Amino acid sequence: MLAKLRLFARLALVRPRFAAGYVIVVVVTILAILAPVIAPFSPTEADSLSFLQPPSSAHVFGTDNVGMDIFSRAIYAPRIDLTIAILGTGLSALLGGSLGALVGYYSSGQGIRVWLSFALMRAADVLQAFPIFVFAIALVASLGQSIQTVVLAIAFVNAPIYLRLMRSQVLSIRSMRYVEASQVNGLSDFQTIIRHVIPNAMGPVLAQLSINVGWGIVLTAALSFIGAGVRAPTPEWGSMIAMGFQNVVTGQWWPSMFPGTMLAVTVFGFSLIGASIEVLADPAKRRLLLTDVRLRDIARAAKTAKRASLGQG
Amino acid sequence: MRVLTYLAHRLLFVIPQLFGIILVSFLLVKSVPGDPAVLMLGPTATPAAIASLRKVLGLDQPLYVQFFIYVKNLLHGNLGTSWQTTRPVLDDLIQRFPATLELVTLSLLVAIVVGVTLGLYAATRPNGWIARFADLYGLSVGALPDFWFALVLIFVFYTMLGWAPAPLGRLDMIIIPPPSVTGALTIDTLLAGDLQAFGSGLSHLALPVLTLGLLNAGPILKMTQSTMEKMLESDFSRYEVLCGVPERLVTRHALRNALPSIVTIISVLYGFLIGGAVLVEIVFSWGGAGQYAVQGVLNSDIYPVLGFVLFSAIFSLIVYIVVDLIYVLLDPRISN
Amino acid sequence: MSDQFTRMKLGPSRRRFLQTVARAGGAAMLPASFGMGEAFAQGANDTLVIAAPATPQGLDIEFDVSLGSIDSLGALYEYMLGYEKIPDPNAPDAQREDTSVHADKPNNMALRGRLAEAWEVSPDGRKATFKLREGVVSNWGNPFTSKDVKWTWDRKFNAKGQGLFQTAVLGLTSPDQIKIEGDHAISFNLDKPSPILLKQQCNLANPIYDGTKCAAVGASDDPWAINFLKNDSAGFGPYRLSQLVRGQQAVFEARSDYWDTKPAMKRVIMREVPQSASRFSLLQGGAVDIAQFLQPREMEALKSEKNVAVDAVNASYMIWLELNAKIAPFDNIDVRRAVNLAIPRDEIIRTIYYGYADPQTAPMPYIYPMVDKSFFSYQYDLAKAKALLDKAGVGKGLSTTLSYNAGDPTQEPIALLIQTSLRQIGVELTLEKLPAGVFYENVTKRAKPMIFYLDSPWTPDPGYSLYLYFNSKSYVNYSNYNNPAVDKLITDGLATLDNSVRMPTYAEVQKTLMDEAPWGFIAYPKYTLARKANLKGFTYYSSNNLRFQDFTRS
Repeated sequence: MLAKLRLFARLALVRPRFAAGYVIVVVVTILAILAPVIAPFSPTEADSLSFLQPPSSAHVFGTDNVGMDIFSRAIYAPRIDLTIAILGTGLSALLGGSLGALVGYYSSGQGIRVWLSFALMRAADVLQAFPIFVFAIALVASLGQSIQTVVLAIAFVNAPIYLRLMRSQVLSIRSMRYVEASQVNGLSDFQTIIRHVIPNAMGPVLAQLSINVGWGIVLTAALSFIGAGVRAPTPEWGSMIAMGFQNVVTGQWWPSMFPGTMLAVTVFGFSLIGASIEVLADPAKRRLLLTDVRLRDIARAAKTAKRASLGQG
Repeated sequence: MRVLTYLAHRLLFVIPQLFGIILVSFLLVKSVPGDPAVLMLGPTATPAAIASLRKVLGLDQPLYVQFFIYVKNLLHGNLGTSWQTTRPVLDDLIQRFPATLELVTLSLLVAIVVGVTLGLYAATRPNGWIARFADLYGLSVGALPDFWFALVLIFVFYTMLGWAPAPLGRLDMIIIPPPSVTGALTIDTLLAGDLQAFGSGLSHLALPVLTLGLLNAGPILKMTQSTMEKMLESDFSRYEVLCGVPERLVTRHALRNALPSIVTIISVLYGFLIGGAVLVEIVFSWGGAGQYAVQGVLNSDIYPVLGFVLFSAIFSLIVYIVVDLIYVLLDPRISN
Repeated sequence: MSDQFTRMKLGPSRRRFLQTVARAGGAAMLPASFGMGEAFAQGANDTLVIAAPATPQGLDIEFDVSLGSIDSLGALYEYMLGYEKIPDPNAPDAQREDTSVHADKPNNMALRGRLAEAWEVSPDGRKATFKLREGVVSNWGNPFTSKDVKWTWDRKFNAKGQGLFQTAVLGLTSPDQIKIEGDHAISFNLDKPSPILLKQQCNLANPIYDGTKCAAVGASDDPWAINFLKNDSAGFGPYRLSQLVRGQQAVFEARSDYWDTKPAMKRVIMREVPQSASRFSLLQGGAVDIAQFLQPREMEALKSEKNVAVDAVNASYMIWLELNAKIAPFDNIDVRRAVNLAIPRDEIIRTIYYGYADPQTAPMPYIYPMVDKSFFSYQYDLAKAKALLDKAGVGKGLSTTLSYNAGDPTQEPIALLIQTSLRQIGVELTLEKLPAGVFYENVTKRAKPMIFYLDSPWTPDPGYSLYLYFNSKSYVNYSNYNNPAVDKLITDGLATLDNSVRMPTYAEVQKTLMDEAPWGFIAYPKYTLARKANLKGFTYYSSNNLRFQDFTRS
């Protein structure tokens, strides 16, 4: 355990941007968890005596047009944004991934399974040809504005991505020797999929997941910006940006800029994590990374040795 | 000849795909609350008037009959009427779709220039600072929400610096728009010889095109970089280097082989942006088709939504077919 | 007579509806090209250029009450009577209608004859005879006669639109009650006296049509000229329609054969500019003379501009919360009172309206005769509110839903302020944002416990206004208020011309209403006009529309 941590630390020093990604996400998560403790004001309390005030010592990020404190709202917001994005993306990966694995596995062979796979792929085509915003908004409009429906919208929009990803992974793995071997050994299709195919396909899926969570946050914010996301006055970065939108043009930048920046930084963190997973999952790139780590270790060892020898001499 | 059969094959698929899209969108849109008859007549309408309008619109029929009626009208070129604009949806879309198309096309051009250039540099000089910058650029730009980035640009270039015009549409309000030939202001103003309008149109296009262009350069950059790296590491490139072929030519050959993937991502982006540019359209009050559709959903105006989905789906499908054709032309191996 | 008030209220609902849709849509409905090549006419002193949220959807008041439509009506059509004008106490350059009770004037009102030169109401109040003006011609050249008035009112019975309400509100059951008494004389014969008979002749909803032209144009398949009047006008007003391109602009030309003073503005261009920010910048830049319906903070910003003036006058608008008496917890009178005690009116007016509103202290517009604001007892008092909730047995806490219109940018912030305030007395509100179309559906269906409504009754009469919203049989009684005693008082007050009876009657009604609090009273938004400083003549009408003929340039 400790060795793993030490390795992780050395990895972080070699690729600082990856470390930055993890740090960002951890910090935002901590902020979200600790929000009730840290926030100086309630995130949904409108204090009209102090509306549209620029950042000051009383209100670090200023107040919006009904007097709600932007800092408090901005640190409460990740609770909603992260929850929706993670749930939505997770659901889409589960749904799309499992369907994709099946489709990939059965895409050639006999009878009805092939046709089902084909039909499913065409259905995914149709879904992806749909303009996603219109689709998401229509879904939320018909099911009602709530956290659950936004999660569903994100899940539906992203599912085809995982379907295709899993399918292409499965397709390439399926032809590999160890799958043949397992089949020869008498494992059923289902067992083969679970035990061999899926674990080997997970790498790219995980990387995609992280990036998608970031993208899910953007989609949640976008929906709220249009007015089809969470309901007011739930603190959420997108709806905060929307509420302050008109004010940017007249010079009051703080209601929109602060939540927007936090949003961008958080999503950036998830992208970095995704990039790091991509490197760690790909054996060739992982080797390169570990080589760099070893080079750095050697350099440090050499420096210590040199200092020691200088000290002694 | 092969090209023709290939085209025929693809077109055959287009019909059921379109049908699927229309069906799904019809069902989706019908599930959005809001009675079209009430909306068209307004809140002071009598129940009798509402009932008779429902009959005329066919809303009292079961869903599959309504779908049938809709498709039948579609085949006659009737996409329905928007109760908000009180005009036929086809007319509305013909006005608005070119606005979106112009915006998206110009943005994509910017994205291609930025993305491919940076990607090429990053791939050919993997240890240079451009490569590192490109990495960071690709990562960060994918994280930025476009509506927020647009707001930042507006704040900096309009509110603070005053260089850009107000985000209030495609032209200065005082300028008379040119007669509409293609619907794209850049082309129409030049055709009409109206340089003042051309300038105004360009200045209004600057910020939104910058927003969409810079943000969407990311995926293109990443794809270019990764594919080029792969190509440059592949056997044929190494062989060429060994043979002493000049670097420029090596790069060019590698690029040609990398093109399919790059073109793929560009086509995907193109199709995506038609609907995906909505947020930027809203921020800049562009009057584009995506905005029209979103307002349609939000205000239970179903025909604009259906019409837009149809337009954008057809557009995407055309783009994909063209791209696949380009593949066939580029690479004789890819034909199945 | 009360039974006949079964039809919908005429009124700005659809107009409001389309206005808020336009606001919501922002530039969604902004066409990509203006196409018609009509530039903003610069420098022409006798051209009035207006940046409006929407062009008229239809020009026929029978079916269309949209924003652009009502602004066109006052210019295209003439009315039987009008009110005298007096200077507005709040806006030095503006005038308004004199709708007060004048004991010393004929019929106790300050009326001016327009198409009717003289009039006489029988002592029992059941018959009104109008002597019509001679020498008036329509924009089609047809002379004005009593036949036109008859045709107009016949149409109301037959076109099955707003007209049904206009006839019902006067107690008219048959077209025969409007009798031609001569070429230039016509009489209205009512079953029961109506104190609003003359007022309705001033109402924007009752323009007089050129019956000759309409009959000719509609022939046998459209005898009431419904198709024609949607897109063009046939009337006796100071302007004719020169061009109408929906979604882009409407152009009006002054008539040289108008019977009264010819308008100073010979040409009026109404341009559709859906976003208020665009209208704002157009006015700021001097490209238009009037920017309609700006947001309060935009008007505040205009105050510092030298060439721009903002007139804000007290208006007939009201914004309130419908507290649905049939849905718990608002079936309990103390809960409704508690809500009223907890609405932060002053905060709302300061923060959201920037002062362009007054607190709502009566159940009818505060500019209308016989309004009584003395019964307002809901000054902000959270302790009292909490005590009332305890009394109602919900002291432990209450949760319900407040629905608001996504298309009206003032409603969400108001909802937020109310939510915060009510939370302090243990009422937890869930805010429900409804798109414009769905919002109005829910209002009329009376489906929600608490929902906003913004409206104005056009006739400056207490009976008319109170009937509309509080009579149990009224279609527009969206709060489901039902008090038979109040019903009777309201209808009694509408059956007599005697103001010495009406006044105490309506005082009693208002007292009861304020006590029983069917509404969450919020504010009276002012009518505002953002215009070029050198544009004079703005006159406020209780139907909240402009009349282009009023304007002159100084």
